[in-house]
Amino acid sequence: MSGTPIILADAVTKRFGTHQVLTLVSLPVMERDVVCVVGPSGSGKTTLLRCFALLELPSEGRILMEGTPISTAEPDRQIKSAARAVRSEIGMVFQHFNLWPHMSVLENLIEAPLRVKKMRRDQAVAMAEALLAKVDLSDKRDAYPVRLSGGQQQRVAIARALAMSPKVLLFDEATSALDPELRREVLIVMRQLAQEGMTMLVVTHEMGFARHVGTRTVFMDRGEIVEEAPGAAFFDAPKTERLKRFLQQFEE
Amino acid sequence: MFKYQFRWDTVWGSFDFLMGGLQMTLVVSAATLVLAMIGGLIIALLDMSRFRVLRWIGISIGEVVRNTPILVQLLWVYYVLPIVFSIRIEALVALIIGLALYQAAFISEVYRSGIQSVPKGHVEAAQVLGLSPLQSFRRIVLPQAIRMTLPPLASNFVQLIKFSSLGAVISVSEITRRGMELSASNFRPLETFTFIAVVYFLICWPLAMAIRLWERRLQAR
Repeated sequence: MSGTPIILADAVTKRFGTHQVLTLVSLPVMERDVVCVVGPSGSGKTTLLRCFALLELPSEGRILMEGTPISTAEPDRQIKSAARAVRSEIGMVFQHFNLWPHMSVLENLIEAPLRVKKMRRDQAVAMAEALLAKVDLSDKRDAYPVRLSGGQQQRVAIARALAMSPKVLLFDEATSALDPELRREVLIVMRQLAQEGMTMLVVTHEMGFARHVGTRTVFMDRGEIVEEAPGAAFFDAPKTERLKRFLQQFEE
Repeated sequence: MFKYQFRWDTVWGSFDFLMGGLQMTLVVSAATLVLAMIGGLIIALLDMSRFRVLRWIGISIGEVVRNTPILVQLLWVYYVLPIVFSIRIEALVALIIGLALYQAAFISEVYRSGIQSVPKGHVEAAQVLGLSPLQSFRRIVLPQAIRMTLPPLASNFVQLIKFSSLGAVISVSEITRRGMELSASNFRPLETFTFIAVVYFLICWPLAMAIRLWERRLQAR
């Protein structure tokens, strides 16, 4: 691990009113890293991810992208314009997919490339078709989201995020809303992305994915990073009591 | 027990006269709907404004209009506005303005709930992909909100067809007024007002049914 992280949380604290959700969280994500974030619900994982996605402002601390600050408690002009410039390089996949229901699958995919990147329509369509082939949904090109299963919707959402060629992809419990038999098809796509070298930050309850695909796993509890370790070491040799207890829940 | 000689011919004899009134009813309703949709948009924008004064104005209009009788509002527009601004207002214009103002207050709520019915996640998805707030409103929020507001707007049209009968009070020559005039000359209120009620029903009921079906289909999506 050397060089500048793709994205970095630098001593991020987040409060909602008087409720402190994150306390001095620092987390770098290097190029080609697949960082998995696990922890009990309410531990602040999702809030941390939303700070990276620029959907929440930190109360204290900074978010940096390739060394440039893009988010602080009170972003000045410079930070705001830096954020605008890199906004679409940070992709996000949501728990509830959030496809736009009034647009077909293809339209969902080409909307941002057309409007934000000002890509030519034929180019955008060709790219979208290639992405749909990648997530194995070429036959759903003209379908509307309501006609798709949850697993298919989530794969479309992943393709939609990829259409902006992001430098990092954030996953917010991307499989939590899915039935177990539909999770697999989404996890397969995520694993494939990881193998292709996509930089990923994955908030998840899928311990199997964290163990076998993640390059590093981070354990969060009560708004803090309690422990982190690469790959299997995280699961085989937990150091803190809190992590040991957390991992025991998954052993039954 | 009920010995009454029905004389429907008195109504058929004036069929064209009454249908002319119906035409006026529909024209008033349509014109009012268009005006109310624009007025409703203005009130909704005021309600959601960043500036407190504008919000206050929008909310006040809505509260006053919703909490006074529509007939009083009509009379007020017809009799008071001319005094205040020392202008002459045609009865027809007064009717359309009065009804439009009343309906605009309700339509503003329709718009607002339409916009709020779009899940926040859809907007966040747009935001993360780099769409500007304006692009996200135009491309993601508005198309979905409009779909949600069309059936309620159609229901408003049905309501307006009924409310426009209040024009009779300020002598706008729509179908109810013409019925009043006819029954004053043929002395046949039973036939006349029964016929008029049936005409209203035959227009409003199928519309209301169609709208209900439409709403159910939208909800199923």
